[in-house]
Amino acid sequence: MFLHDLKYELISSLRTKQVIIWLLIYPMILGTLFKVAFSGIYEKENLFSSVPAVVVGCSEGSPLRSVLDGMKNSDKPLLDVKYADREEAEKLLNDGDTEGIIDASGEALTLTVAGEGMNETILKAFCDQYNSNAKVITESASDPAKLGAVTEQLMKDANVVEHKQLVEGNMDFFVEYFYNLVAMIALFGSMIGITAAMDNQANLSALGARKCCSPRPKMLSLLAALTARFILMAVCMVITISYFSFILKIDYGERLGLVYLAGTVGGMLGVSLGFAVGSIGFGNYGIKNSILTAVSLLLCFCSGLMDGNMKIRIQENVPVLNKLNPAAVIADSMHCLNVFNDTKMYTEKLITMLVMTAVLVMFGFIITRRRKYASL
Amino acid sequence: MADTVVKIENLVKRYKDLIALDHLSLEIKEGEVFGLLGPNGSGKTTTINCLLSLLAFDKGSIEIFGKEMTPTSYDIKREIGIIMQNVAVFEELTVYDNIDYFCGLYITDKAERKKCVEEAIKFVGLEDFTKFYPKKLSGGLLRRLNIACGIAHKPKLIILDEPTVAVDPQSRNKILEGIQELNRNGATVIYTSHYMEEVEQICTRIAIMDKGHKVAEGTKEELKKMIKNTETISVEIAEPSEEITKEISELPHVYKTEYAEDRLTVWCSGGKHNLIRVLGVLQKHDLHIGRVYSELPTLNDVFLEITGKALRDKED
Repeated sequence: MFLHDLKYELISSLRTKQVIIWLLIYPMILGTLFKVAFSGIYEKENLFSSVPAVVVGCSEGSPLRSVLDGMKNSDKPLLDVKYADREEAEKLLNDGDTEGIIDASGEALTLTVAGEGMNETILKAFCDQYNSNAKVITESASDPAKLGAVTEQLMKDANVVEHKQLVEGNMDFFVEYFYNLVAMIALFGSMIGITAAMDNQANLSALGARKCCSPRPKMLSLLAALTARFILMAVCMVITISYFSFILKIDYGERLGLVYLAGTVGGMLGVSLGFAVGSIGFGNYGIKNSILTAVSLLLCFCSGLMDGNMKIRIQENVPVLNKLNPAAVIADSMHCLNVFNDTKMYTEKLITMLVMTAVLVMFGFIITRRRKYASL
Repeated sequence: MADTVVKIENLVKRYKDLIALDHLSLEIKEGEVFGLLGPNGSGKTTTINCLLSLLAFDKGSIEIFGKEMTPTSYDIKREIGIIMQNVAVFEELTVYDNIDYFCGLYITDKAERKKCVEEAIKFVGLEDFTKFYPKKLSGGLLRRLNIACGIAHKPKLIILDEPTVAVDPQSRNKILEGIQELNRNGATVIYTSHYMEEVEQICTRIAIMDKGHKVAEGTKEELKKMIKNTETISVEIAEPSEEITKEISELPHVYKTEYAEDRLTVWCSGGKHNLIRVLGVLQKHDLHIGRVYSELPTLNDVFLEITGKALRDKED
């Protein structure tokens, strides 16, 4: 009996255009747009690039030259150095072709910059560190055998901006948008959850009335309808995450299996939200769907889909909102995989999602179990 | 004597101040095609919904197959086929799958179900449309699918709630013939409609409803005997003088005359040769006579006489 219901619930759900459009095609299009639009901005704004600088008064074979040449050979050199005389250097600075002039003609390095900013700070930090180390070298001059070791130490310290992997995940801020996108798709599962409830209630649909007249216990029909939608949603989530991960090359970290699990449970939460709202005895599908879509987008906005800092602002002002917001919980479950090495926090988020799902499903069952209706 | 299949006693259903069903009692025997006839809002669908235990009621009792009907009376529900006023099928399932799905709610054995589904498809004449989706079907074919979904499991009691609304004449005839065949095959049928012609055509016993009351019940012959009118004569004619009208009114068995829209209408109660006598008077006065009609009373006349209003609105 259950399998008969499940089979046809699955077939009919799979053939629903809305499922294909909103749960598969739309997320893929949106994900692709995110990738195209945001990855460029992100790389430009957030990824480190070498700071252009002009060095004057630096002779061949000088210690500074050795340090700078050594830095050049690294993958991501701190400085992009040119050697020039004072006049040419000032011209480059005035034309905006360089961030600063490092003058090595004196006893210590001096820096000339045109403005203030991160690059200027980096140049100043470099000069300060070099001067400090040069002093150490000078003091060590009495023992020339130590000179090589000191130079090596200097070069090591110069490569200060170096990424260090703490966990198995990807800590790029850019990926956060894709966590939120997955959360949004999960909540869009509510649109198929609505029909699970409405198609089984005599006061909400003709189909529901016909089912209620049959000898099939309502709980069994509801369970089949809900299970079919959970399965369908899980498939949609797996396909979407796979598309993001393997086609768009979004780096969800090493623990992709757990990301799939979080997405699937998130999808169940979305379906349950729709089921709970769908079971309420007034309003047609269109109204309920519109409300749920708007609510889903609002929840995703609060979790940082449109503004990456929104969740942080909410955390600072109303932290409980982040704990109750399903979109934030879903996104956080994936986020914490990339922050913590253990799965304690991830498990907590997963349990939160399961508890929310259980509460919403129970609410739906309690409302829908009504034996007779006051009006049809 | 046939067994009672449905017994409704003193059923009362209120929607706040509105009384939708007012102490309604009905008894439907096995093998009957029982018609519930009444205008929109008379309480036909409410009666059906209460009968099916979908709708809570304020007072009264309902028994089907001798047992009290409740939402969990699954053994009773197994023997009922319901065809709702609104088409209730899955838009995303084919004709075959829809019938198989609903049949599967009643019959678990696959082989038996397959046989039932194929028979139902043949019965409603949808053999050429088994792989069609409902949205590709015309209104009439869709109604036939709706019926197939309700009867595939071969129920003993079939309830049809206005199944021919917005259906073309060809499909309507097919549906009505089908209902009669189901009845011949042993099913008891409850048929609600506000189309008196349909009810007259297929129902063996009829209850006429108005404003939640049962205003009359019986076979169509019994119902027609309840009223004074036995024949209505209409003659297309130029307006007759008062003298002629008076002469016709005084003819035996004539109890009412009316002239409107170039037509003289004469209502008779009993008697024979009423038409000849009326035409005799008109010929005697050398009046030019157009078309002449003589009609036996209809259920609409019954409803009109009992309630003082026509059964159907003009737009119906």
